[in-house]
Amino acid sequence: MNVRLPLVQVFFLVFFSSVFSLFVNGIRTDGIPLLAKELDVADNIKISVDEPQLLAITLEQALDLYNNGTVFIDAREPEYFTDGHIMGAWNVPFLFELTFKLDSLQGKESPVVVYCSGDECGSSEDLAYELQGEGFSNLYVFKGGWDEWSENGHPIGP
Amino acid sequence: MINLQKRSILVLFSRLILGAVLIAASIDKILHPEAFAEVIGNYNVLPFGLENIVAITLPILELFIGCCLIFGIMLDGSAIITAGMMCVFIIALSQAMIRGIDINCGCFKVSVDNAGGNIGYRRIIEDILFLGLSLLILNRGERKWELYPKT
Repeated sequence: MNVRLPLVQVFFLVFFSSVFSLFVNGIRTDGIPLLAKELDVADNIKISVDEPQLLAITLEQALDLYNNGTVFIDAREPEYFTDGHIMGAWNVPFLFELTFKLDSLQGKESPVVVYCSGDECGSSEDLAYELQGEGFSNLYVFKGGWDEWSENGHPIGP
Repeated sequence: MINLQKRSILVLFSRLILGAVLIAASIDKILHPEAFAEVIGNYNVLPFGLENIVAITLPILELFIGCCLIFGIMLDGSAIITAGMMCVFIIALSQAMIRGIDINCGCFKVSVDNAGGNIGYRRIIEDILFLGLSLLILNRGERKWELYPKT
């Protein structure tokens, strides 16, 4: 191959940097999986858990939890929350404040549901992982989020 | 019309600036691949799952290209890749702004909030400028101060 050809150079550079980056990711201790893993969907909802869990839930499961009085946390920006949210949901912009409120209300083992706009957003998952990092062990991410909840006419708050 | 000598110096400066920018941009992403994957995810342009592979490979590619531009290695290829990356960045930033997606929807996360705060016209203009520099390097005419391949 003639390395003077621009496209050959592009191929070489992309190929070597990709191989190198995958190698580096493989050997470093804080490497990440090649493909982001989707959350497992919960089979059944447990009110208390032995091992920490972080699972995705469907609308029906979210509704069950909602009717049981589970705390719902809105992970969206406050302006979206103000426009409309699941009735009774919390929107606390600061993690330390949220963990303090949750912990003092119900401890760290009780179920907590986190949601954001809908399937496309990732902030509910991000927040759930952060809460897991803070020691909360019974976390559910309602993937359908605000869009699915409001489209199906479930209770919403101003 | 600027003469060849001046043009070569201009190209050298463009290489150094672009190379330094790419290397500087790559370091934090290489150090925090997980946070970078989240930022990519918030753009909502890639199907779920692919942001990790981009977060792993893109920063190293930037570092490679940055070094190549500075040292004059495979300049044509480096300039093409840089131009391509800048086009992708411009499109990604523009679509995020046009769609008005809640890009700092990583609500409580400091790093994601900062990345979201950075989005704006300034970033797009910078990328257009860098695109211009990479096209200038691609059309440099005289091949001077290059390590490989030798002319």
